[in-house]
Amino acid sequence: MKKRLLAAILSATMVIGLTACGSSQAAAPAAPATPAATEEKAEEPAAEEKAEEPAAGDVTISFMASQDWVQDAELELAEKFTEQTGIKVDYQIIPSDQYTNLLMTKINTGECTDIFGGQSGQFDIVTQFNVEKNAVDLSGESWAGNVDPLAAAELTAGGKLYGQPIQDVSAVWAIAYNKTIFADLGLSVPKDYASFMDACDKIAATGVTPVYEAVSDGWHHVLWFPETCVAVEAKAPGTAAKYNNNEGTFAENETMKLILSQMNEMIAKGYWGEDYMSNEYANAAQEVADGNYAMVVANEGFGEEVEAIGAGLSKDDIGYFVIPLADNQTMNVNPAGPSRFIYSGSEHQAEAKQYLEFLASEESLTYLTENVPKFNKLPFSNAPAMYEGSVKEFYDTFAANQGTVYQTAVKYVNPQWMEIGADLSAMFLGEMTEDEVLANIDKLRAEQAAAASDPAWN
Amino acid sequence: MNKNKTYPLWFAAGALILYSVLFVIPSLIGIGYSFTDWSSYSDELHFVGLENFKTIFSADENYIKIITNTLSFTLVTTVLKNGIGLAMAILLTKKIKALNFHRGIMFMPNVLSTLIIGMIFSSILNPSKGILNVFLRSVHLDFLAKQWLTKSQYAFGTVMAVDIWRGVGYIATVLIAGIMSISSDYYEAAAVDGANGWQKFRSITLPLLLPTLATTTVLNVIYGLKVFDMIYALTNGGPGKATTEVLYTAVFKKFGTGQYAIGTALSSVMFVFMVIIGFFMIRVMTKDEVQE
Repeated sequence: MKKRLLAAILSATMVIGLTACGSSQAAAPAAPATPAATEEKAEEPAAEEKAEEPAAGDVTISFMASQDWVQDAELELAEKFTEQTGIKVDYQIIPSDQYTNLLMTKINTGECTDIFGGQSGQFDIVTQFNVEKNAVDLSGESWAGNVDPLAAAELTAGGKLYGQPIQDVSAVWAIAYNKTIFADLGLSVPKDYASFMDACDKIAATGVTPVYEAVSDGWHHVLWFPETCVAVEAKAPGTAAKYNNNEGTFAENETMKLILSQMNEMIAKGYWGEDYMSNEYANAAQEVADGNYAMVVANEGFGEEVEAIGAGLSKDDIGYFVIPLADNQTMNVNPAGPSRFIYSGSEHQAEAKQYLEFLASEESLTYLTENVPKFNKLPFSNAPAMYEGSVKEFYDTFAANQGTVYQTAVKYVNPQWMEIGADLSAMFLGEMTEDEVLANIDKLRAEQAAAASDPAWN
Repeated sequence: MNKNKTYPLWFAAGALILYSVLFVIPSLIGIGYSFTDWSSYSDELHFVGLENFKTIFSADENYIKIITNTLSFTLVTTVLKNGIGLAMAILLTKKIKALNFHRGIMFMPNVLSTLIIGMIFSSILNPSKGILNVFLRSVHLDFLAKQWLTKSQYAFGTVMAVDIWRGVGYIATVLIAGIMSISSDYYEAAAVDGANGWQKFRSITLPLLLPTLATTTVLNVIYGLKVFDMIYALTNGGPGKATTEVLYTAVFKKFGTGQYAIGTALSSVMFVFMVIIGFFMIRVMTKDEVQE
């Protein structure tokens, strides 16, 4: 009987122990007065003492970002930061096709890094990242006022600034082309779809693949669609606003259908080559520098990347023109781009803020602009501007006629970027039609709007 | 003291409580959530009945394809891993030179991390620069040089082939242990009776190896239904819409996009499959035990 009593007491203690563990994890701030919680409390002063120590040598802030977002120059700045402050920065670079999934899983399970990279966008930072809950308000930081107003608007929710831009958002995804090949064939810059196809045809006839495309990354081939949707807006101004009010669908938009069918036509004619499904964007500069491909959708630092390969082409041998699908001639501007956010659950918020302040200093911004080929003007008032040569030529040609790309102008497009990518690749393989791709975008937009309780959808 | 007295049930209480708290209750809660509209977009939770299951089994969605993919992956890899594993096990229990070296080589792929294998094979199978196609072209077999991971008609087969290559060594090792435990007396007696190699295999090796084969089948089926890392590293569910998508990659993506309810509903469907398959497998296995 005594043994039975002892066993019962032991079992009961274990149950209490387990539930205590559970509750202290679920509601950490209001820890109940169980023995387990008391023990935790007893240890707290020691932890506080540690934090108050002047040397921050032991602190490591973690930073998760997608493959192409963090440049070598930024890693060098991180080392300088560590030298100055003793705070280490642990960069976790994730392959781009897996990044969004992994980031959202980490945020949703409450295990995110101290700083995380994410695409800005005034609608998406709320619906996708829920920054008001998951990110730290950075409005009060010394650099907040320096952020370019257009870029800041894409990082602001409820009047508070939540992120810091990583990249040059003035850069436009345009078609970067090898000027030498164009000159040899007597080609001029295409002004519409017909002249673009004519150029592709002549280039293909020489054995060079006209366009380098990288579908396996999951994101790059998507650019052709929402970036060129500035043509939709040019043909029918106010369409983006209508979509944001849930008036009209993508599926019934003829310009969008035209863009998709022209993508299919390029593939059918072999202008994307044989390996477009397995190519990786990271190899684009090499392939263009080697003369295997004549064009690629890239931003304006591409010339410098090609020059850096050292295969004989200089940065001014690369020119740029806007994507001419659906006869588009509007420059596709996107004030949104990869940005840094501080995770609200981070234990090192002060150190993370310190790091962002360091990165936004004039010295760091100048260092980044000078050392990252594709950066011409970072979106800060205290960052230098470095447009020249081909890039200046491009901006001079198209700057008068600009439109905002649809992943930023229209709600619930950017969060489904990778799904659009999967659908487009299914379309290339003949598994989906253009109409089905557009209808699926509408469906996913409606699902997200419903989940976000968007009044325009309910 | 009565030595034959069985221990009272409450001795198992600790283990049962631990198991319930860590496995059973979370599983039941998960099934519960699959009847709600739980998502990262809203803090509110509403009961939606069978809505998520309707979505999963609706013709407009491709979840049926995902479930079919998972089941065919399980079936094909289980059959081939067992078949090839058995053939290799028989070969590697014969008296051949450098036996342990061969066994080691065979087991090697299993030691490597699946993600690393995935990355290595992505490079090997690259259509233009991968060594497989480069080799095929160099021996004038250009017609065999395919876009292994990026054409829908080859992708799923390729993923399964890589997985079979990775897993077959392990299965063969288990079967080698099984074959070696068979007493040589049977083979000697059969030899005296004039049995040939095939007859020895059919009448001695195979029947006595059945319990081991049952074990490897269970291992393969469980692995197949739960496969994630190999597919994630090789194709991430692509090319296209869901060519190689399986349940766990789909669940991962649903959680990634904050659609928890659909994710848990998919997990619940998976749970039902595992229960049904597990039930029948246990019945088949216990039937064998009774016969012995």
